[in-house]
Amino acid sequence: MIPLRLKIETDAIDPYVVRLRSFEGVAHDTPTLSSFDAVLGNATGESADFSGGERTLRVFGIDASDVNGDVLFVVPRRGTAHRLIRANSRHNTLLVTERCDQLCLMCSQPPKKQHVDMLPYFETAVLLSPENTTIGLSGGEPTLFKSELLEFLRRMLAARPDIDFHVLTNAQHFDRDDLAKLGELDLNRVLWGVPVYSSDPYVHDGIVAKPGAFDKVREGLSILCQAGAKIELRTVLMKPNAAGLADLAGFVTTSLPFVDKWAIMQLENIGYGRQNWDSLFFDSSRGFDTVGKALDLAISRGINAMLYNFPLCTLPPNYRPFAPSTISDWKRTYVSECAGCGLLDDCGGFFEWHPKAHGYERFGVT
Amino acid sequence: MTVWPLKFRDLPNGTLLFSDDAGGFFLGSGEFLGRYARDALSPDDLRFLRGNGHTFEREGDPDWTSFAYRWAGRQSKQQELSYLILVPTLRCNLTCGYCQVSRAPEAARGFDWSNETLNASLDFIGNLKGPDIKIEFQGGEPLLRVDLLEQIRAFTRSKFPRSQFVVCTNLQRMGEVEWAFLDQPDTFVSTSLDGNHETHTRQRTGDGLATDTFFGNMAEAVRRLGPGKVSALPTIDVERPPDFEDLVENFEHYGIQSIYLRPINHQGFARRRKNEPNAIARWNALHSDFVDFLIIRNHRTGRYVEEYYFSQCLRRFLRSGTDDHVDLRNPNFSASDYIVVDHDGQLYPTDEARMLSRIGRVDLSIGTVASGVDQKKVQLLNSASINNFDADCIHCVYQPFCGTDVVDDLSRDGHIDLIRSETWFCRRHISLFDKVVEVMTRRDDAARQSVAKWAGVPSWGDHMVPVHA
Repeated sequence: MIPLRLKIETDAIDPYVVRLRSFEGVAHDTPTLSSFDAVLGNATGESADFSGGERTLRVFGIDASDVNGDVLFVVPRRGTAHRLIRANSRHNTLLVTERCDQLCLMCSQPPKKQHVDMLPYFETAVLLSPENTTIGLSGGEPTLFKSELLEFLRRMLAARPDIDFHVLTNAQHFDRDDLAKLGELDLNRVLWGVPVYSSDPYVHDGIVAKPGAFDKVREGLSILCQAGAKIELRTVLMKPNAAGLADLAGFVTTSLPFVDKWAIMQLENIGYGRQNWDSLFFDSSRGFDTVGKALDLAISRGINAMLYNFPLCTLPPNYRPFAPSTISDWKRTYVSECAGCGLLDDCGGFFEWHPKAHGYERFGVT
Repeated sequence: MTVWPLKFRDLPNGTLLFSDDAGGFFLGSGEFLGRYARDALSPDDLRFLRGNGHTFEREGDPDWTSFAYRWAGRQSKQQELSYLILVPTLRCNLTCGYCQVSRAPEAARGFDWSNETLNASLDFIGNLKGPDIKIEFQGGEPLLRVDLLEQIRAFTRSKFPRSQFVVCTNLQRMGEVEWAFLDQPDTFVSTSLDGNHETHTRQRTGDGLATDTFFGNMAEAVRRLGPGKVSALPTIDVERPPDFEDLVENFEHYGIQSIYLRPINHQGFARRRKNEPNAIARWNALHSDFVDFLIIRNHRTGRYVEEYYFSQCLRRFLRSGTDDHVDLRNPNFSASDYIVVDHDGQLYPTDEARMLSRIGRVDLSIGTVASGVDQKKVQLLNSASINNFDADCIHCVYQPFCGTDVVDDLSRDGHIDLIRSETWFCRRHISLFDKVVEVMTRRDDAARQSVAKWAGVPSWGDHMVPVHA
């Protein structure tokens, strides 16, 4: 696993954002340095010293050549730094808040009550990001701070025309008054990831533990549609919603035809997903019928439907082209049975934290 | 709750097909139709209609918005002009009996682009917006003027790095210059392959040895350029169709799995032949038989050959946005995304319009390449290039999936204010969509496997067609 939180020492007192420049493996001219850059000085096997501005920073447990261009949020008091942006990764996500108004049965990032406004630091981080990347904005529920979020997006989209955003939101908080603000954004560069778990309001509301959530998410999606936003619909497959997946597909084709993508996702064994694993994990290798029917219907009606986080061998061969490798590099692993598998190059494998007893009855290419 | 208007059609099995203006569809019973007509829908009816996207509560609510979105998706969008069909020469080295395009003898003079037309064409291309430009060389036989083709291609490449070229050639007389022109990554070949040796000889070359030469060149084209670079169309004489197995085998032999059966066209030289009134019924029967033949054959071989136009209709039935076939979309505005430049520099909205003008039936030119597009004439054509308000189409269950072809109507009937259901276009497409519905609702493995492949989905079954009792 790639560490996202690093041990540090610094002479600074207040938290700050810094970009590391190690220049290792950089063949050409030294890029222009900004006041947010810290340049590698000495490095040992255990730590690397960076200096820039009036601060010094010692980072432990990293290979200095792996962090060139990374943007850190340094918290001197705690002796830690968060890697907000990893320059080599396509999967950088910023947590706008840890508060949430839903309490999903399988939440991978269970919410907390307290909120620290990180957006000013994130602005700096985005400005220091490498070119042509996509940055995720997540939570908690980022639209609990909707006006701050939309303003952040407006400023960042204008300041960095090369950067796209992927916002994960439950779409509970949009109203018609937001259309004007959404209209100010370059919406071609923002993908809104919105979860819908069932076309049965009772099932959806039960999964997110919020009465009325289904009606709200429909309204929110409808407003995003009217704004011309790009939407990625996200459905985590679980025991409570598996039987209704084909009905959900019908609902998507008739009621949410405007989504750009529909991701049907296998469960992640983390957060509440781990606590509730036995009551939630749905063995799609045995009960594939419901998944297959949903996919058939959605694709036939022009919905760009995909299976995320499904090991390829657990799918019938004709469905594998619809299951791209989606588990981020720093979260991915394979099990011992995967050794020598011919599908390995195209397969996303498992989340690092997936149980060793993986739960798929039909596993391995036969 | 408001129910959007439904249209319906009897199916041979006693059920009915229903559709709305946004292309939502389902199978239902006569009893349901009775309740719908009497405004006596049951709670169960309303639950089904709501679930299948046919209702709304208030203007602007999520159901209304999604319906509006689906309706809008069914209309083809006006696009930037990005596709030119160029006819640098009308001369040809074949004299096919059905020639679509009114050709000129190979040795004739005055049927090639003049220098002025070449320069005007280059200017015309230079003024396109890009960045993706497609140029199709038609004729005549365009490879008789490789020199003109070279100039067009070199200029287009220099202006638009992502350009593509298609040469519609008979592959009859190929030398090193011709092969060198074709053998480029951005250049594709489209040719005619009329089924088997006998049919190809009868309809095109008139000479078995010439057919041998063509077949040799076809094999060489696939070998040199790769199978994905060569496409072919069979033109079918409904009175003497080729043996289906021969035809499909021959196409597969050249690595082609998508076959577009084209009826001999009612224009150009083909029009001079006797026009048999029942030709359309016979064509429809032949086409339907061919689809059934493919289903059985695909099931047997495990290889999935499609009839291109049938697949296009199937996909249009199922989903919006399948507007890439210029003969089947609605509205079908002229000179919107593509235009034809004839050998004399005249502009036409379609290749058919060019032929129709050439035989003197009606002048459908819409300007010249030097002076530009005559927008007044384009608007006149466009006013009839939409089926949404046609007095007959508005009652048709297939309207959202269908298209419109004003040039075809003019060519066959001389005017456009027709009883739609009597036109060739309408009769052909009613039959095609009937076939789509028949094949979609078949329950045998053979049909389901072919439909799945043609529709581009992993599997097909009962869950793919909504049914309300």
